[in-house]
Amino acid sequence: MNRLHIRKPFALLLLPGIIFLLLFFIAPLLFVLVESFKGAVGEITLFRYKEVLTDSQFRLVFVRTLRMALIVTPIAVLVGYPSAYLMTKLTTAKKSILMSLVILPLMTSPVARTYAWIVILGKYGIVNQTLTSIGFLKEPARLMYTEGAIIVGLLQLFLPIMILTLVSAMENVQEEIEEAALSLGSSRVGCFFRVIVPLSFDGLLMGVALVFTGSITAYVTPAILGGAKVLTLSTLMRQEALVLMNWEAATVIAVIMILTTLILYNGLRLFKPRTLV
Amino acid sequence: MKKSKLLILITVVMFVFLLGPFLVIIISSFSNNAVMRFPPEGFSLKWYDKVLNIEMFRSTFWMSLKTGLAATLTALVLGVPVAYANVRYRYRGKNILELVFSSPAIVPGLVIGFSLLRFFIYVTKIPVLTGLYLGHTAILFPYTVRVVSASLRNFDKGIEEAAVSLGSSPVHAFFAVVLPNIQSGLVAAFILAFITSFNNVPVSLFLTGPGVATLPIQMLVYMEYYFDPTISALSSILIVFTVIIIQSTEKLLGISKYM
Repeated sequence: MNRLHIRKPFALLLLPGIIFLLLFFIAPLLFVLVESFKGAVGEITLFRYKEVLTDSQFRLVFVRTLRMALIVTPIAVLVGYPSAYLMTKLTTAKKSILMSLVILPLMTSPVARTYAWIVILGKYGIVNQTLTSIGFLKEPARLMYTEGAIIVGLLQLFLPIMILTLVSAMENVQEEIEEAALSLGSSRVGCFFRVIVPLSFDGLLMGVALVFTGSITAYVTPAILGGAKVLTLSTLMRQEALVLMNWEAATVIAVIMILTTLILYNGLRLFKPRTLV
Repeated sequence: MKKSKLLILITVVMFVFLLGPFLVIIISSFSNNAVMRFPPEGFSLKWYDKVLNIEMFRSTFWMSLKTGLAATLTALVLGVPVAYANVRYRYRGKNILELVFSSPAIVPGLVIGFSLLRFFIYVTKIPVLTGLYLGHTAILFPYTVRVVSASLRNFDKGIEEAAVSLGSSPVHAFFAVVLPNIQSGLVAAFILAFITSFNNVPVSLFLTGPGVATLPIQMLVYMEYYFDPTISALSSILIVFTVIIIQSTEKLLGISKYM
């Protein structure tokens, strides 16, 4: 902020927020960032990064985390787009009911929401009980503490976010444009892909950015459904910090997590679909 | 407009997937089995009784409630002026500042909690409880700014200008004219922020310790040691509360448009 700004009254409005974030958000993050480059005697070093990045467990976990995000995101798009499209076509009353059903999982305690999947996927859970009782399985299969379980949990968490983003993007597509396309001989499917999708593409990118980065950083879902058996970046970071007391490794993982999120989040949002419109 | 059968099928399957698990929890909470089993073999309310009698759940519930209220109110006090400045004024560096203001919602909560813990332990030696409150305030701040901004954009600037031109001071006009008119936005911001705080795990994870825990953290700890329907009962209570909040706020405020 330069002096010119400070003289204006609105600077006073921004100041408390800025000071708060500086002290209790930016400073701690910078502190951790600096710490991650500090060696044992205070010298600047990349040693800690080298140590973490060459660790085979870290690599495994990093690739696994990206892989799960890469699976969750397209499924969220494939299921979210049709559902969101249908919801924009409903009457206001019906839409309002469905919207509150969509936000229910978002507003419910993540522990409660994820716990449900233990009841469903656990050793004596619904899936195993059903499959053993019809004789498909001889004994319960291990469904919990697998990547599949985490993916299912992440989908339940992020489908609503994708749908909300797409609904608000598609609401801005005027009905007339769609009708014009249809009356000019476009098929319904063709209209969806050539009119609706391009016009709501910004919303789609936003949804993809939110779901992808969210899947990478989610904590509760992998903590409950993956446990210590299937670690992700966030559960690995927690393990390093609170179980193994390896603060240095946790710090480096924290920095890597921020960088991955910021790069993906901003990268996806900068991407403009010139060829599609 | 005709809706294709495939669209309806996908949407129905999607809703079963989203909401089925909630039904499963509620059914399992009435089980009389000592270990989670589905379907339950008999009906009982003993797990609800147990939840209400576990001291750790009661005390952490109050901790979550107090932290949520304090952090939400602070985030509103900090966020409303920022929202007002961002909606009403243009200034240099606004884009960057807006990015900064929204970043606590983008940076992973786990990293925020972790860096606050490191910073508070090494540099400022702030007690854990204060750290919890500050960490929650930081992550709620973007929500209050966003929701209040949206509501300010819908408010007719002319009414405020009329008040000022009729002799009201800008500050008085803000409190007497602007605030009452964005009431529903403020309530929506309050509810969204409070729920976000009440449910938060990643930030709280590092900012809790002996004697300082929030309800979700306590639930996670309990789940590590026990596998009985107690958590089902507690989860069911939380789900019912959430449904009531969403039902009342969606009708009154249309809260989904702020998310």
